[in-house]
Amino acid sequence: MFDTVDQVLEELGKQSYIADKKIATVVFLAHKLEKPVLIEGPAGVGKTELAKVVSAATGRPMIRLQCYEGLDEAKALYEWEYSKQLLYTQILKEKFTETMSGAGSIGEAAERVGKEDSVFFSYNFIVPRPLLNAITSDEPSLLLIDEVDKSDPEFEAFLLEVLSDFQVTVPELGTIKAKDRPLVFLTSNNAREMSDALKRRCLHLYIDYPTEELEQRILQTKVPDAAQHLVEDLVSMMQRLRELDLKKTPSISETLDWARALLALNATDLDEDVVNQTFNVILKYEGDVRKAQSELDKLLQKKAGEAAAKAPASAPPAASTTKKGALH
Amino acid sequence: MQKKILEFTNILRKSGIRVSTAEAIDSFEALDELSIDDREIFRDALRSTMVKRGEEVPTFDQLFDLFWSGFYDNLRESFGQATAGLGEMGMDLEQLLEQIMQMLQNMQGQEGGDLGELARALLTADLSQLENLIRAAAEQAGVDRIENFLQVGFFSRRTLEQMGVEGAADELRNLADQLEQAGMSPEQIQALRNLIEGLMEAARRSVRAFTERELQKQNHDYMEKFRRETLLEKSFYHLTEEEIRKMREVVERLAQRIKNVLSIRRRRLKRGKLDLHQTLRRNMSHGAIPFELVFKQRKKDRPKLVILTDVSSSVANVSRFMLQFVYTLQEAFTKIRAFVFVAELGEVTPLFQELDINKAIEESLEGGDVINVYTRSNFGYAFHHFWQNHLSAIDNKTTVLILGDARNNYNDPRAWCLRDIHNKAKNVVWLNPENPSAWGFGDSVMDKYLPYCDVAEEVRNLRQLSKVVDGLLL
Repeated sequence: MFDTVDQVLEELGKQSYIADKKIATVVFLAHKLEKPVLIEGPAGVGKTELAKVVSAATGRPMIRLQCYEGLDEAKALYEWEYSKQLLYTQILKEKFTETMSGAGSIGEAAERVGKEDSVFFSYNFIVPRPLLNAITSDEPSLLLIDEVDKSDPEFEAFLLEVLSDFQVTVPELGTIKAKDRPLVFLTSNNAREMSDALKRRCLHLYIDYPTEELEQRILQTKVPDAAQHLVEDLVSMMQRLRELDLKKTPSISETLDWARALLALNATDLDEDVVNQTFNVILKYEGDVRKAQSELDKLLQKKAGEAAAKAPASAPPAASTTKKGALH
Repeated sequence: MQKKILEFTNILRKSGIRVSTAEAIDSFEALDELSIDDREIFRDALRSTMVKRGEEVPTFDQLFDLFWSGFYDNLRESFGQATAGLGEMGMDLEQLLEQIMQMLQNMQGQEGGDLGELARALLTADLSQLENLIRAAAEQAGVDRIENFLQVGFFSRRTLEQMGVEGAADELRNLADQLEQAGMSPEQIQALRNLIEGLMEAARRSVRAFTERELQKQNHDYMEKFRRETLLEKSFYHLTEEEIRKMREVVERLAQRIKNVLSIRRRRLKRGKLDLHQTLRRNMSHGAIPFELVFKQRKKDRPKLVILTDVSSSVANVSRFMLQFVYTLQEAFTKIRAFVFVAELGEVTPLFQELDINKAIEESLEGGDVINVYTRSNFGYAFHHFWQNHLSAIDNKTTVLILGDARNNYNDPRAWCLRDIHNKAKNVVWLNPENPSAWGFGDSVMDKYLPYCDVAEEVRNLRQLSKVVDGLLL
């Protein structure tokens, strides 16, 4: 599947996911060492997306388990389908009477019913949930455990057991072991610190906000219609916005939304009006919008200033004054 | 390689990153799968297997640079300088070396013709060999036991001795003599001699650099940790500007930790009475036979908080950090009302809701446009004012938090105001930055207020403060 780190980069690139080497290395190792990956990082940097893309790149079907407070084994692993069992009992009532007709005592009758136990506790009556699906899957699969930080600590402990050897024990059926170990991705927004035990079993990947250069490449790949200069302006603006002390720092997904919004509005340049009108695409709090607006002058000015500063840096010092003058 | 990785693991541990044995083994396995020629991939492999916390990544990166790279570059730099001298004299190093090698080969077998390992490595500028030699010698000399800067000279000397640098220098000088006899041109000999001295100097410098790096490695984060610890214990009365700034980060971390613990605690309190309605609804698919029980979720009351903060200069620092805690933990309380006073009392709650944390605190400390802070503390007056105008803010779920040294400048303490507050409130907590033994002496009226406080604590440093905050939320 993957033989080198570069190949991972390439395959992910084919799925239009621009990763850096760090991400590719971890994906590569996860595949080679058959270890789960715990992905942490701020919201919207592409944690879940990474799992999806790896699933597409490897051709493994993705099985997703969304975590939330109160998620328990019954919803994550398996559940007996009680109503179906009940229904079958109703339908088979006559057969039961037949089986038990010759029984002399209650004890004997119970014994006979007991012999048929396995009928009702078989795969037929199990509702498999994501974890069991991933374990019993015929082809190698990819298991995404999303927002694992939202689950309860008890669930985390249970997860540990599953992740360490990929087998589960259903008391009535025995132990089920995975044919092929699935690739496992866990994502966390750090709503709470995951336990050390879980962390120890996982490879750790921290995805941060991308660098300017990387973000530009991502934007170009995902929104190919955006003009080059717009992409540059947009990204440098985003990078600066992230330096502000905002309640919710805009992330890559916001950058993409913004670029698409600007395209839809037919905006070709990033000027004050356009920015002011579209701020609510990237900033999700009223206070943040107000703060960014008050800094807007500075954000735009800085851009102009930087362009001026950039020019002389590459040019010889004598020429710099004239160039600067031309720009102002 | 494994040994080096283990060594690296130890250094990570020293800097407070927890790396378990299992994780070290993982890293070996990871490296088996990868080519370690690519430094970046190598680093990522180590990081993903050993470091499991986002905030530890910067420490890891620094240590990685210190440990794995850098030194080779360092070597290259110092030896680059030594050989660059040749270029200035119009000599080509390659050419010269080639010639020397040629002559060496001719002299092979003759007396003094073969050079020692170190001398050869030096002369051919074989940096990786040199690095190995230095590392081996340093290990012999016990450089990893280095503890402070004063020992750098000592350990460098020992390492040099261990390497036999002087011996190598002699060998090389002899070589130059022999080459002279063998008929090398005087300019070339001169250049060679210069080169040799340059190389020796470079070797000495490299060893010293190596020892210094070792020191940094061993002590990395040590100072940082030390400072953090002492900040926790340091009295609020003796803080410098710089420390206040650093302290802010520490408070932030503490507050974050309390927040995390809080969410766990709240979850634990969930189990309540059986919820019949929900149970029936949930079990409809089972023919309304209650297989799964649903319990009512008992919500723990989040406390209401009224905070009265003395912002006179004597307690400004305590107030600052208390306010920071309260600001950060706002969502842990159902309702917060914040008042500041010196003599007059004014409400600064709106500041908390509208401004970002630093502004809110700075403005609160300056009285937030509602009070005059340039007067003398008068607790009695402030409490009376509160009693008259804001007593309705308090109900039986409210915790009243008072921050002040109770130095009343011999004014009337009007303790009955506090008594009434105490009667209405769930509890009254008084945080005093002074030592309990000073309470009630001089112009302190703490003893008058004490009967009406459920809790009165000395809060002189951050550790005590965070303990109190923790207790408030429990």
